[in-house]
Amino acid sequence: MKFKNFANKNQYTVMLLVMLAAVLVFFSITRGSLLWTGDAWYGMAMQFPEYGLMTLGVMFCFITGNIDMSFVALGNFATIFAVRYMAANAAEGASDGHVRAVIVTGILITLLICLIGGFINGVLVTKLGIPPVMATIAMQLVWQGLSTALTQGNTVTGLPAMYTEIGHSKMFGFLPFPLFIFIIAFILCALIVRYTVYGEMIYMIGTNVKAVRYSGINTDRVVILTFVITALVSGVGSLIMVSTMASAKADYGSSYVMRVILILVLAGILPDGGMGKIPDLLLALVIIQIIASGVNMFASLNTYYASLIWGALLLIVLIASTKLSGGIFKIRDDKKKKQVSSQ
Amino acid sequence: MNKTAWKRLTKRTEFYIFIVLIALIAGIQIVSGGQLLEPTTLVTILRGMVVDGMFALICLIVMISGGFDLSFPAISAFAYSAATTICVNQGWCETNPLAGFLLAILFGAILGAFNGWIIANFKLNTMIVTLGTQTFFTGLTMGLFQMKEITSTLPASFRALGESYFFEVYNSQGQRSTLTTSIVFLIIMIAVTSFVLRKTMFGRALYAIGGNEVSAERAGYNVKRIKFILYVAVGALAGFIGMVRVCLARQSIPKAMVGKEMAIIPAVILGGASIFGGEGSVFGTICAIGLITVVSNSMLLVGIDSYWQNFFNGLVILIGITISAVQAKRQRR
Amino acid sequence: MSEYLLEMSGICKAFSGVQALDHVNFHIRPGKVMCLAGENGCGKSTLVKIISGVYVRDQGDVFFQGQKLDRITPAEATRLGIQVIYQDLSIFPNLTVRENLAINSEITDRRRIVNRKRWTKTAEEALSRIGYQIDLDVKMGELSVADKQLVAICRALLFNARLIIMDEPTTALTKREVDALFRTVRKLKEEGIAIMFISHKVEEIFEISDDVCIMRNGKNVFEGPTADLTRDDFSYYMTGRRIQPDPFVPEHIQEKPVLEVEKLCADPYYHDISFQLRKGEILGITGLLGSGRTELAMSLFGLIRPDSGKILLNGQPVSIKSPEKAKELRIGYVPEDRLTEGLCMRQPIADNIMLASLDKVSRRGILNHRKLFSEACRWVKTFSIATDDPHKYAQTLSGGNQQKIVLSKWMNNNLDILILNGPTVGVDIGAKQDIHHLVHGLAHKGLAVIIISDDISEVVTNCSRVIVMKEGMIVGEMKSEEITDQRITEIIH
Repeated sequence: MKFKNFANKNQYTVMLLVMLAAVLVFFSITRGSLLWTGDAWYGMAMQFPEYGLMTLGVMFCFITGNIDMSFVALGNFATIFAVRYMAANAAEGASDGHVRAVIVTGILITLLICLIGGFINGVLVTKLGIPPVMATIAMQLVWQGLSTALTQGNTVTGLPAMYTEIGHSKMFGFLPFPLFIFIIAFILCALIVRYTVYGEMIYMIGTNVKAVRYSGINTDRVVILTFVITALVSGVGSLIMVSTMASAKADYGSSYVMRVILILVLAGILPDGGMGKIPDLLLALVIIQIIASGVNMFASLNTYYASLIWGALLLIVLIASTKLSGGIFKIRDDKKKKQVSSQ
Repeated sequence: MNKTAWKRLTKRTEFYIFIVLIALIAGIQIVSGGQLLEPTTLVTILRGMVVDGMFALICLIVMISGGFDLSFPAISAFAYSAATTICVNQGWCETNPLAGFLLAILFGAILGAFNGWIIANFKLNTMIVTLGTQTFFTGLTMGLFQMKEITSTLPASFRALGESYFFEVYNSQGQRSTLTTSIVFLIIMIAVTSFVLRKTMFGRALYAIGGNEVSAERAGYNVKRIKFILYVAVGALAGFIGMVRVCLARQSIPKAMVGKEMAIIPAVILGGASIFGGEGSVFGTICAIGLITVVSNSMLLVGIDSYWQNFFNGLVILIGITISAVQAKRQRR
Repeated sequence: MSEYLLEMSGICKAFSGVQALDHVNFHIRPGKVMCLAGENGCGKSTLVKIISGVYVRDQGDVFFQGQKLDRITPAEATRLGIQVIYQDLSIFPNLTVRENLAINSEITDRRRIVNRKRWTKTAEEALSRIGYQIDLDVKMGELSVADKQLVAICRALLFNARLIIMDEPTTALTKREVDALFRTVRKLKEEGIAIMFISHKVEEIFEISDDVCIMRNGKNVFEGPTADLTRDDFSYYMTGRRIQPDPFVPEHIQEKPVLEVEKLCADPYYHDISFQLRKGEILGITGLLGSGRTELAMSLFGLIRPDSGKILLNGQPVSIKSPEKAKELRIGYVPEDRLTEGLCMRQPIADNIMLASLDKVSRRGILNHRKLFSEACRWVKTFSIATDDPHKYAQTLSGGNQQKIVLSKWMNNNLDILILNGPTVGVDIGAKQDIHHLVHGLAHKGLAVIIISDDISEVVTNCSRVIVMKEGMIVGEMKSEEITDQRITEIIH
């Protein structure tokens, strides 16, 4: 009875759970001996945190009814600076303490640039009234263009060894460092969304920004802050990507933009705003990563099979959800009206 | 009357894009010491506009209907990869490229129909659906069918078509440039698209649906069918344009289309199309594509390193959309 | 031949077990105006949709010109000459007037190619039916609501309409525009066209209609000539209860004004506005649509920046730059449009109630969910908002209850001034009185209230002082003793 109640209230979560189970069962049957090994799960734990963090960041944007397409390009731009700085200042033979200080500064540089980038996005959207898709696509082109111009399209290397070592270390002897960072960020974001005034406001803004403004709340400030948070959290993802790649480049992770949006949509967090639950996000992330890793276990399949399955999965979810009560993916009339009137 | 017509003209984004385009050309012409309007540069720019211009037009018609298509590059990639692969395997198209084009159009139409079926039947958000189909189609092309790059084995007729030209010109250093025959495709497509959009009830239906879908249904349009036809047509055209690209590049690379939507969509919006639907014109779109092509092709002429190309593209788009957003904000007051 | 154009009897329609229409009878005569009245959710729109063929009835007979109709499809309805003008007018804002007028018949004629000449001919023919003139090249979105409506009427007439159904056509019109609309309606009557007019505004119904049909809870409770009906009966039939007007009597008005506005200007909305507001009083600001009343209110809440002039709060000059500044200065604002400005419809009732006072249920940015919910429940009880669970979405409530949410939003804020813009627009008569009582109570407790409304009777009964605005200027001010419907109406026009 209790379960039935839960299932009714959380139809979407249940659907994702069923999907996760289906994916697990499928790969257990076909590649059980490979799937249920420590190596397989370690591999997954190393892979997903970088785009997992980006997804987590962009989630804030989606909840407020905005969208960010610039996060990967911004992250690349920021890390190019940071890697250059670190490469220049942590010369071989420098003391550990010095290298550590350089790394911390490098991370701070990345985050500072991300903060500025997020702020610009926010200002373009709120103060100038540019539709968020457009503003952030344009900024994506700008950041990527700048990165290309500064690096002449080359890979930026010379990271201190310590940086990549940290990236591959294990916390408490078993927890991969990227996963550790992801878990901390996830808990932090979940707490922010659930238990802060800011978290309450972003859901309300995503549903009807005008009503929130008319309640005496500075919505522009909240939205700008949201773009900043998005940029910062996904910037952490970029930092992890840099440690995996041991370098930075203008076009690293370019497929992540679409993947992140796909995960969010799969999790029922739509750019329409005001929707979505954080646990669903985790489920969607895990599903996507298991598919990616599962596909890898078939020697005959290339990685694009994962893309095939992801696409199919998203479409199935889209169509299935039209049968659920609420039909969250349907074109929303009120939203459309709002857009027209704000044009 | 003349005054109101003028007023109406100045309200249109297309008008400004056109003026900016002219101003930019004039500016670069002066800075580069007259190099921009040299015949060699001009034919290069025209060549650069062929594929992007046609992609922009299909993007435009979807956007007018209130849709947002992220999947056309994926459809295009599947269609041309499949078509060229078949042609190579069967030994077709050594003398006549027609079969290859027909195959690409067919494949494009099938994938487009898949898009159309989902969008029309389930009334779903088009951006999300096409994000899904984009991922799916890419998986088909490079996963399930494992389509390979075709370069040196490309059928001769494709190569011939790509290399054919109307006339050749030489610049002062004696460098040779040619005006590709494929420009005809762009010209035909511009003519047909503007005719369909302005002079047929189907085109007007797209504007009507983009303006107010419920009203369009009440007015008696079969919205479902129109949307389905639209996405089939867009798919077929995406296949066709992909083939043109294969000919011009003289190679078929399945990955080449990845991220193309991010280059085309902003340009279309720069040209005056609204992401909310119902607005946009062929003229504005072509001007915007021209603007971007001019900017990217004249970097070297004005002494800027070509690595800056993407940055300036982004900047042009950012400035363009900022101006139109600020203008819209002012008009509302 | 029957004397009726359309005759419906014993119409029933149920949706998943809920009886939306319960044996409804309905008659309409050619060349007459029939008003269909009733509160929200009484089944009006279901009935219209059955007539226009969108829904299929479960039971009952329909006769059109004496001929029995078994099944009505939308195409059949058009063929018979039944045209519906929906509240949103079904227009295309991005297309020109010419195209808007021509589009329907082009589709019906299965045209494939655009012929501008034919369009112009169709459009001019349509406009000539009611002798209306407008530039055909203007985009529909640039027209005023009244013009859009006339275009929509012209378009309906193209189909040899015999019955035109207008769904709440006067909602967004000024009085003058309503008069123009009514002139058109009378013209159509003379041509023998029957008009079905859906409305809940008493004055309009008595002015324009020949017959009235009043519905309540899916049944028709009255059907007959308008002449047989008094205004009291009308509201009784609408609500099912007799409503006594209950005027506001101020208890204690403070001597010192809390708000002083001096020579406030904001081009092009209003000019040279000066007035004072005291705690304990309810000040009415009325005027036609476009008189600057809404913009004045928005300026007091920091949504529109005035160009010149002064605003003093408790004698201190202040600059209200933004809504959050206004809130800080203890000014609250209940906006005109609940759907787009007042509520987050797809969020819980409780969260909506607490939206303006999140700082009261949080500490250092950390939200106390339990406190939020219990506070919200308190207001649900105090304002008797009809819901069994404040976790439900705000959109599940009726207009009146939604308005109470918007009102309660400000109650935690210890306000000095509350500005209500159109507080009872789209609210049922019964709920209207509840809201007025709540507002009276607030004024008695020492709040300074401004009610902005174009509903003159609302202003008359609920305000202790009234300011009348016209074309951006104050054209009259009167004390409670002097306030009457007639005087305001005189000044307003």
